Amino acid sequence: MAKLQTPVKSSFDSINDSLKETHSGLNKYTKSLDKLFKDRPLPSTDHDALSSQENLINRAIAMHLLREGQFAVAATFLSEIAEHKMDTPTQQTNESASASASDPANLLDLDEVPSTEIRKQFASMYYILQQLQEHKNLLPAIEWSREHRNALEARGSNLEFELCRLQYVWLYHGGSSGQDGPTGWQEALAYARREFHVFVPRYLREVQQLIGAMAYSPNLEASPYASLFNTASAWDDVAHFFTREFCSLLGLSADSPLYIAATAGAIALPTLLKLQTIMRAKRTEWTSENELPVEISLPPSYLFHSIFVCPVSKEQATDANPPMMMPCGHVIAEESLKRLGKSNRFKCPYCPSESHPKDARKVFL
Amino acid sequence: MAAELTSTKLNPESHIILDQPLLRLPHELARRNFKTVQRAVEREKEYVLPALKDTANASLSNTQTPDQTLAALDAMISRMQGLKRKMEGLQEEEKKIHNQSRKRIQHLEALHKIPNLADVKYDQWARVRLDRLLVDHMLRSGFSESAKQLAQERGVEELVDLDVFTQCQRIVKSLRRGETKEALQWCGENKAALKKSQHNLEFELRLQQFIEMVRTQDKTKKIEAIAHAKRYLILNHQAQNPEIRRAAGLLVFKQDTKVEPYKSLFSLDRWKELSDLFVQTHHELLSLPSQPLLHIALSAGLSALKTPLCHSAYTSSSSNSQSTSTSVCPICSTELNELARTMPYAHHSKSYVESDPIVLPNGRVYGQQRLIEISTKLGSVESGKVKDPTTGEVFDESDMKKVYIM
Repeated sequence: MAKLQTPVKSSFDSINDSLKETHSGLNKYTKSLDKLFKDRPLPSTDHDALSSQENLINRAIAMHLLREGQFAVAATFLSEIAEHKMDTPTQQTNESASASASDPANLLDLDEVPSTEIRKQFASMYYILQQLQEHKNLLPAIEWSREHRNALEARGSNLEFELCRLQYVWLYHGGSSGQDGPTGWQEALAYARREFHVFVPRYLREVQQLIGAMAYSPNLEASPYASLFNTASAWDDVAHFFTREFCSLLGLSADSPLYIAATAGAIALPTLLKLQTIMRAKRTEWTSENELPVEISLPPSYLFHSIFVCPVSKEQATDANPPMMMPCGHVIAEESLKRLGKSNRFKCPYCPSESHPKDARKVFL
Repeated sequence: MAAELTSTKLNPESHIILDQPLLRLPHELARRNFKTVQRAVEREKEYVLPALKDTANASLSNTQTPDQTLAALDAMISRMQGLKRKMEGLQEEEKKIHNQSRKRIQHLEALHKIPNLADVKYDQWARVRLDRLLVDHMLRSGFSESAKQLAQERGVEELVDLDVFTQCQRIVKSLRRGETKEALQWCGENKAALKKSQHNLEFELRLQQFIEMVRTQDKTKKIEAIAHAKRYLILNHQAQNPEIRRAAGLLVFKQDTKVEPYKSLFSLDRWKELSDLFVQTHHELLSLPSQPLLHIALSAGLSALKTPLCHSAYTSSSSNSQSTSTSVCPICSTELNELARTMPYAHHSKSYVESDPIVLPNGRVYGQQRLIEISTKLGSVESGKVKDPTTGEVFDESDMKKVYIM
């Protein structure tokens, strides 16, 4: 019994030792974490302008889920929003709360988005894309582009032709059998005869090329037309092209706006944080209320609009202060123009020509 | 010109500002787990060692029967077995936490291997981040099912804290229902950490219990309430003196009183305040930011992307849905347009227009090359004419006038 005491004690000691080891490891981790994030506190919560717009954010998320093809998640999300609203009928009357709960989609309708309609659209988009990418089946896509031919043509989009061309190439390569051969060649030609006549007025050259290539049929790889029939990246390109056209017709951007905005936010944050620290240190306020005080550099693909900064006043053009073009072709903002001209003739700040302010014309960027 | 305006430089160190809680949370959990282990070991040690000594001494000096000795030993053994079981559970937990931390560090490390923002890998990484942010937002708003489903479908379960938030939401819901039990239990589990907190969650919970007892206006209940107050409110919380006095005053008022502050003490809104206080304390304890990360990212992003044109009354020539060569601006897109309305727009010190701009007679500016390309693609436009892709008007190519934008 007395002998037992020592081993028990020592085993407790060893447990404590290993605990100490763990503790020091943990402490080191704490320190390195602190060091890593030391001068990078999380953005302060002074003004959280977005929390008051919960509805809009939720709507954006629902749309994001739909356009990413996560229909199941989107459905769950919408029904949970509905439940949530039921639990806290804050401003709503009971009547509208129960109405919106009965159909989750209604919630978004409040915000003027016909969401069932959009869900259907995205469902059909993903069906088409799936057919296109997994089964190399272009027909649903072609059908869609036919239905929307007028709208697509108004945009100057050649989606339909691109799709038909790929179909032609695909048939030439043997279609679903995947083997080159005389049957593929025949089918491609038959397809061309059947479908291509629509395109002749607009795409005469391309059609000629496609048909002309047939003459080289036995040895196409060595012909000048080889590049036309190289389909390695064509499928992805067409899928991407299709997505963009589809979203554009719905008035949506091709990439999920939520994704772009969040990513841009992450890029912009370090700059904004620095700004916040400096402003707090110097106790200054922003001079221009509606504009960020610093320039944030984003990758080129994040520039979506033309930007006009008046070379005289260095201000961005707005609806109230639009860009004006003088007869010489130089553009300055309207306010600068008024200040320079004062209803007299004045010299353009960039070239020797003189003009009158009333000769300047408003331009749209 | 575009050299300064656009930049694809990626600084991974500052890029992970938003991801701080990602590492902090498992770290906090690991620490808590460790403390539990330490406490358990300490307690058992303090029991077993003296007990063993006593038993040994007693059996040596023959003051104890062998049966008693055996019983004492059995008790010790069963306690040690209990400790072992407990430790096994905690170790399992710790393994899980470590695994999580490792995955997260790997995820952040991946960022260091990405050369610049234009890289395809960055795109993928940012998508994972967006999924994380979305799950975070859903969890905070109480949409646990959607969060779980999204995390599963995107395979980011290790990068989000489903369990923590689910527990948090459960307690919030119980508070909203008017139950204090689960919240008090949580307080008990985190007693040590709560002492440092500036919010006195436990006091407020006990006070609410007191209020509920008074609300009944039942005599026995009121006596119970006084006992409750003596036990929980007065002894431990000297700092809340005025509030305790107010609580005592409450005893003589009825629920429908119009006298402040008793009216607001009786108010059912207090449950909501309590649940808010709980969330606040909970997040603080686990060093979670109080607002969803998605909000922080979005508000910064919306401002960075927004231009005066996004809410302009005139359709912008660049980037509208009617032209094929540009994609629609995300701020102009229906999803975010309303959200961005109150945001400030980005600051630019240089103009950015398409190369080789020309102006059409209707005042619209386009890149010459692009305009001609679009027009030739359109079957309906004769050669030598151009079509304004925004308004649909058709002009002679000779009507295009060069415009100079500095």
